[in-house]
Amino acid sequence: MDNGMDNMLDMYLFETNSLLEQLDSILLNAEKSKLFTVDDVNEIFRIMHTIKGSSAMMEFSSLMKIAHKTEDLFYIIREKGVETFDDVCSEAEHHELFNLVFNTIDFMRSEIEKIENDEPLTDNIDQELEKINNFIDKINTHFGNAQNSDSTEKTADEPAAENSEKEQQNEQHKASNEDLPDKSPFFLKVFFDDGCGMENLRAFMLVTAIKDVCSDFTFYPKDIETNSETAHQIIDNGFLMGFNSKEDLDKSVAVLKGQSNIYTYEVIENEQPAKEEKITPADTVKKEEPTEKKTKKPAVNSSSSSHSSQNKQSLISVNLSKLDSLMAIVGEIVITESMVTSCPELAGLKLDSFTKSARQLRKLTDELQDISMSIRMVPISGVFQRMNRIVRDMGQKLNKDVELVLVGEDTEVDKAIVDCIGDPIMHIVRNSMDHGIEETAEERIKLGKDPKGKIILKAEHTGSEVIISITDDGKGMDTQAILEKAARNGILTKPESEYTKKEILNLTLIPGFSTNETVTEFSGRGVGMDVVKKNIEQVGGVVSISSEIGEGTCTTLKIPLTMAIVDGMEIAVGKSIFTIPIHNIRQSFKISASEIIHNVDNSEVIKRMDEFYPVFRLHELYGLQTDVTNIEDGIIIWVEAGDKSYCLFVDELLGGQQVVVKPLPTYLNDFNIKNSGIAGCTILGDGNISIILDVANLYLKAQNIY
Amino acid sequence: MPNSNSADSNTDILEESSSVDNIKKYLTFLSDNHVFAIDASYVTEIIINHTITFLPIVPYYIKGIINLRGQIIPIIDIRLKMGKPENIKEDGSNCIVVLNIDSTMLGIMVDNVQQVLDIDKSKISPPTVNNCEELVNGMVTLADGSTVLTIDCDVIKRT
Repeated sequence: MDNGMDNMLDMYLFETNSLLEQLDSILLNAEKSKLFTVDDVNEIFRIMHTIKGSSAMMEFSSLMKIAHKTEDLFYIIREKGVETFDDVCSEAEHHELFNLVFNTIDFMRSEIEKIENDEPLTDNIDQELEKINNFIDKINTHFGNAQNSDSTEKTADEPAAENSEKEQQNEQHKASNEDLPDKSPFFLKVFFDDGCGMENLRAFMLVTAIKDVCSDFTFYPKDIETNSETAHQIIDNGFLMGFNSKEDLDKSVAVLKGQSNIYTYEVIENEQPAKEEKITPADTVKKEEPTEKKTKKPAVNSSSSSHSSQNKQSLISVNLSKLDSLMAIVGEIVITESMVTSCPELAGLKLDSFTKSARQLRKLTDELQDISMSIRMVPISGVFQRMNRIVRDMGQKLNKDVELVLVGEDTEVDKAIVDCIGDPIMHIVRNSMDHGIEETAEERIKLGKDPKGKIILKAEHTGSEVIISITDDGKGMDTQAILEKAARNGILTKPESEYTKKEILNLTLIPGFSTNETVTEFSGRGVGMDVVKKNIEQVGGVVSISSEIGEGTCTTLKIPLTMAIVDGMEIAVGKSIFTIPIHNIRQSFKISASEIIHNVDNSEVIKRMDEFYPVFRLHELYGLQTDVTNIEDGIIIWVEAGDKSYCLFVDELLGGQQVVVKPLPTYLNDFNIKNSGIAGCTILGDGNISIILDVANLYLKAQNIY
Repeated sequence: MPNSNSADSNTDILEESSSVDNIKKYLTFLSDNHVFAIDASYVTEIIINHTITFLPIVPYYIKGIINLRGQIIPIIDIRLKMGKPENIKEDGSNCIVVLNIDSTMLGIMVDNVQQVLDIDKSKISPPTVNNCEELVNGMVTLADGSTVLTIDCDVIKRT
């Protein structure tokens, strides 16, 4: 379990950090254009929601509370309408809002840094909360609303918080006024050119340069290499270096003169040269400073550097896009390899050593392909394990006894998919816990159910996609209530009576829809399900919900394997070339016209192994021009996917080939291609494109036509 | 194809313009005897005689997809999109302008491309009320007296 926790922490840190980065960029853009768009606010809201959720899960309460408050703030903005907000607020207030949110982000960052360095988190966050509350009050008065009840509660803390703030400021002031950080006899104070940027790194370069000429010297701030915040300190207070002898100092000044971007420097002679201790005081004194970030940093970093290297282990994080391009290149190599070895010019030649080398090459490319594939594959268990915590924690808080059953957690899926499904699964599990499972055990017993609730998390691999389902045996969804709520929220697009059950269930996936009336820590702001949909669609997947009142809800995520190499069979219909994954093919054969049985509606059926199977002509399905229409001239391919088994009539077989699946351009997504039996495409050895068929969806398409 | 005439017209437009910021480069192309202009900043390249792979199911105006150095790009026939008859050439040749519209790559099939012009954006007048072609978002008269129609790239992207 220890190991699992580490893994979770790593994921949490990585995820939260990237979310904060994303938030930063949104805010920066919004600040530039001087107003929030609806999308921005939704996005910020979602980010805060996710941070809140995952922080609560990891029990980092300060982060959770701050995120919760910020979420509240944007909730108000969203509810009141972004446009009206932009209208009623003056520019100064806008500015204040941005500052506020940026400060909040910085605070969160510092907290996360603390987590990374294994330090205790800040306990007293009232100050931050207070600021947000004040702002909420302000905009609320703008909207002419009554006071936020939250804020009145908090005002009691105000004086105390303010006091402590002042104290902290004083302390900080003292720290920076303290003349010289240690007792070296000579000091150099360096200022860099105004606005040259990255002062901390420049200082670090300076330190490395000086190390060449003199080994024993100290410098402040100490963590310039790792902490970019120090840049500001350097701008304000200059960069200090302490030397033990005049000689060292002179040499260093010489080095300094050779450096660029240095504005001025000054030599300070320390009156009382070092007597007892030389360097240690600086470190220990600093350690005892209040928890305020800036002053604490220097000491912390030296002690924690060894620690963090242990934490990192042998993991490296690689940009996924690099893996993508690796995969693409490997794909090209595989294709090129087959182009070279099956070059028509070689036909009929007897080339012993060539064949030998070619075989060797083949083996190596296969290996290369396997490895590059496996780099991207990670077991889904990491994501599933996180859910255990959620179910446990929520179960305790909500007083519900729920068991989480994990099925198929060893299923390996592409890293990109794992990253995208973490959030959605978390939201769905939360929803199941919060709204799905009945409030009390008695209620369940009355309904004849096991008093212990059950949530089943299942992952499985079918040939071309990963199917993840989250099933609970709770209340199920009340379609009437959903419809009413949707009508109240004004998201219906047609008369209520025209909605089918499936459409009603899908309403819950629209942003701003929430079946829960009250806002809780867990869910109920209506951001959950639309995050789910958004994230899943990002990886080209589909979300579907099925639910029976009283029996429970099942949410299914179907995600295609976007990047994969499959063994395919090339077939031709007219001028088009298609690829059918080999694992879908049971048999291919020629038949005589007498074997065809005609159904009442004149559709064609054949009998194989004592079972009847429908025959679909691919050229009819896709409206292709071909000369091969006589069933005896073409070839029948018997395909199977899941529980669907049928025969396809095509012109001819071209042969098997390993192909790299490429997704179709996103532009074409609007045309329902995925549901018409086209999974993607691939580039053949000669540069032509072959379309990869999705056998399961093709069956559905055929059903609609015939 | 730039000639002396077009060079003149370029300078004319430049001289008349009040602010240089409004000058934008446009690529003009011919489709069904109309001259269209498209913001050149969207154009990544012009390719001719590329093999187009037919794609079933999609609307008739999408001719298919092409493999452009490993990238799969959908091709829209601008004639069919505007409800004009298809331009069938006997030799099977084609001319595709590849566009990158907010990182959506797509190609439009045109009869042929003409030249790159500097057009003062403020001179572009909105389309007339009887304009029912949603792809066209403006008209501008060039110095040589000819009128070109400007294409709205966002509309192309919106399928």
